[in-house]
Amino acid sequence: MRIKPVRRRLRAWFRRQLYSFFSSLGTLLGHRLATMMTVLVLGIAMVLPLGLYLAVSNLRALDLQQDEWGAITVFLNIDIDEKGAAELARVINGRADASAETVSPQQGMEEFRQASGFGQVLDLFDDNPLPWVLLVTPQPRDGQELGVVVATLDAWLQQQDAVDITQVDHKWLQRLSGLIELGQAFVMVLSVMFSLAVFVVVANTIRLDVANRSEEIQVLSLFGAGDSFIRLPFLYSGFWYGLLGALFALMLLSVSVLYLQQPLEDLLDAYGNRLEMKIPGFSCALLILLGGGILGLLGAWISVQQYLRHLKRNGMLGRI
Amino acid sequence: MITFEHVSKRYPGGASALLDVNFHIDAGEMVFLTGHSGAGKSTLLRLILMLEKASGGQVAVNGLNLSNISARQIPQVRRQIGMIFQDHKLLSDKTVFDNVSLPLMIAGLRYAEIRKRVRVVLDKVGLTGKEKSWPLTLSGGEQQRVGIARAIVSMPPVLLADEPTGNLDPQLSKELFGLFRQLNAQGVTVLIASHDLALIRSMGQRVLVLSSGRLIDDLPAVMPWPGKGEADAD
Repeated sequence: MRIKPVRRRLRAWFRRQLYSFFSSLGTLLGHRLATMMTVLVLGIAMVLPLGLYLAVSNLRALDLQQDEWGAITVFLNIDIDEKGAAELARVINGRADASAETVSPQQGMEEFRQASGFGQVLDLFDDNPLPWVLLVTPQPRDGQELGVVVATLDAWLQQQDAVDITQVDHKWLQRLSGLIELGQAFVMVLSVMFSLAVFVVVANTIRLDVANRSEEIQVLSLFGAGDSFIRLPFLYSGFWYGLLGALFALMLLSVSVLYLQQPLEDLLDAYGNRLEMKIPGFSCALLILLGGGILGLLGAWISVQQYLRHLKRNGMLGRI
Repeated sequence: MITFEHVSKRYPGGASALLDVNFHIDAGEMVFLTGHSGAGKSTLLRLILMLEKASGGQVAVNGLNLSNISARQIPQVRRQIGMIFQDHKLLSDKTVFDNVSLPLMIAGLRYAEIRKRVRVVLDKVGLTGKEKSWPLTLSGGEQQRVGIARAIVSMPPVLLADEPTGNLDPQLSKELFGLFRQLNAQGVTVLIASHDLALIRSMGQRVLVLSSGRLIDDLPAVMPWPGKGEADAD
């Protein structure tokens, strides 16, 4: 029974893959210290953008959309009395996107007295200098951006005759989310830079590896090995470097998260916020490992290709 | 099997290494190539191995015109040639087995098959049981035989050897040439570059003589040099 040529070719291809797979592993294990150092460098290069990404994505997940942060404090004109305040509150409560409650000057004074500790100073005033105040809470419907609702509401409030000034807590929120967005952009930049670093480190390592084995490459070539056969073990090596580097980065990340979790929880507790630290899930980790492997593979490819061209140009492998 | 037609090779800026070389080697022939160092022996072998391209004329191996061969086809042509080097070119970080099995790995054979063939070929060159040795622990003669085993393990129709006895004592050299003759008797075309004239003479095979890049003599087999002292041993 004859095996079909295509199947035989496929089997030969598969055996070459196996050969390269094991020969690349053998090379890495043969130079354990050098391999470890390369993996260490790669891991550290990868953990920086990964860590920042983790921090930013956790910040985003924090419950920043709490209603209280969207509240608008509306100070009415000093000549508006209780009736005027109640009237405006009723109008606001009639709107679909907000609710309002009134705070009388006396209530305001009491709060201020308690919160500031300037009670005695307040006794110097003959009259209560505070105006009536409305606390307006926006109520965005599903899918509505809190920021947009707040902005619309604020603009409308400022047009009311009774309103003196408005104060929006949301500004603070916007600044924070702006910072988070900046952080995200930073993650992007760092990721690109450190990916480049991973690529270069692997390319350089493989270049040295290839140079050390130029004799072997010549012998392989003289006995009829094609470029792909010569290239393959190095590509596998590059893949291993990237993969191991990513694995090391994930380990570093997990350790850091464990270490930082408690103090972070305490800090956020103080802000009345609960933290559920998100760590990369299984599929995410797999993606990171694969990404590292592919980066390493690309670096190795460029390096081997360039060196083979160099050998050929010097007539060491064959005619150009 | 190997044909040179008006082949010349000039290196850029240098003198001619080969000038209008013509010869034909039939399948199953055993031929020696001799001449002073610098006569062009190595260049001639490099042309057959496609490490160089002829500046003029045509080289053909096994019916394939090498000037028409693309870079992608070079590996296939090289798999038809077993090459033996003066400095062995063994890989010192690989065992004898790994060295000898290289051509079979390249061909993509089954591992069981590779093991069988390597064992057979090591028996043939007298290195039975040395599979796991490291090349540097072997003597010069043994290393050369590892190189020969590697060259013949894939059973190529053509065997090239560049000064295979360069570093060996006369007794070992004679044994080695005996091995080449054995292979030749099994149908392999053998071309050996050597300047060991006494040994060549004792073999009684066809001899090509190069001098300053020209083929100055093509002595037929059996009686290479008239009045030779030593008769053919076997």
